[in-house]
Amino acid sequence: MDVEKKIRNRVLRGSTRAKVSMNRLKILITVVSRAKADFYMDHIQSFGVNMQMVLFGQGTAPREIATAMGLADSDRAVIISIIGENNLRAALDSLAEKFNTIVGGKGIAYTIPMASIIGKSIFNFLSDNRDAVRRNEK
Amino acid sequence: MSGFNHEVIFCIVNTGFSETVMEAAKDAGARGGTILNARGTANKEAESFFHIAIQPEKEIVMILVDAKIKDAVLHALYQKAGLDTMGQGIAFSLPVDNVVGLTPWKAEIKAAEAAAEKAAEKAEVAVENAEKK
Repeated sequence: MDVEKKIRNRVLRGSTRAKVSMNRLKILITVVSRAKADFYMDHIQSFGVNMQMVLFGQGTAPREIATAMGLADSDRAVIISIIGENNLRAALDSLAEKFNTIVGGKGIAYTIPMASIIGKSIFNFLSDNRDAVRRNEK
Repeated sequence: MSGFNHEVIFCIVNTGFSETVMEAAKDAGARGGTILNARGTANKEAESFFHIAIQPEKEIVMILVDAKIKDAVLHALYQKAGLDTMGQGIAFSLPVDNVVGLTPWKAEIKAAEAAAEKAAEKAEVAVENAEKK
């Protein structure tokens, strides 16, 4: 019983300690036409994103709607990027502008908050926290 | 744009059942989705113990919906493509924020246009009637 209590207390204490208030990470999901995947990946990378994945899929919107939106074929790319909250606003504003201006570049983007992550160096890598790494090297 | 007004629904089904999923979702008010090919894994020992075969080829259907219709869509997926069906689907949703690029739903605009057309027709009929008199 005592051991259980101890573990529970430790877990509770750990959870309060683990709260991150600076630059929380989000998962940015961008769905665009496959032909524009590389362009959008490069673009997102310029907002301090260090890790991205791309999955290839098919869109299911009816042809009339798809062509009205300027999408010729149904091949899609789903780009999954890990982005810090600090850069999010700029990235999304820029993506929204690109969706509306680039011919055949229509797409959608949204974010999912990341609940937890383990590993300091991984967190620093994903949030592009170069200063922290430099401090450690000194 | 911000706030959890939208949810993304992931539905994992056996290959070939993504159309069933999309039909069910569209009936419940969804507009479109993205299909991804995937491979499922299962506990081999459990598979032989329970005498069931898990088909490894899967499709993941990703559907972004308004949070208001999320329950209806999930319910439809459960009924039409749930584990009891051939599709053996599992569906779950995640709250999402900061949605960009989604064109606003045109239903209201279409309804307004239809109402305007009806009003114009009525006016025409009224004018014709007046001319007859």
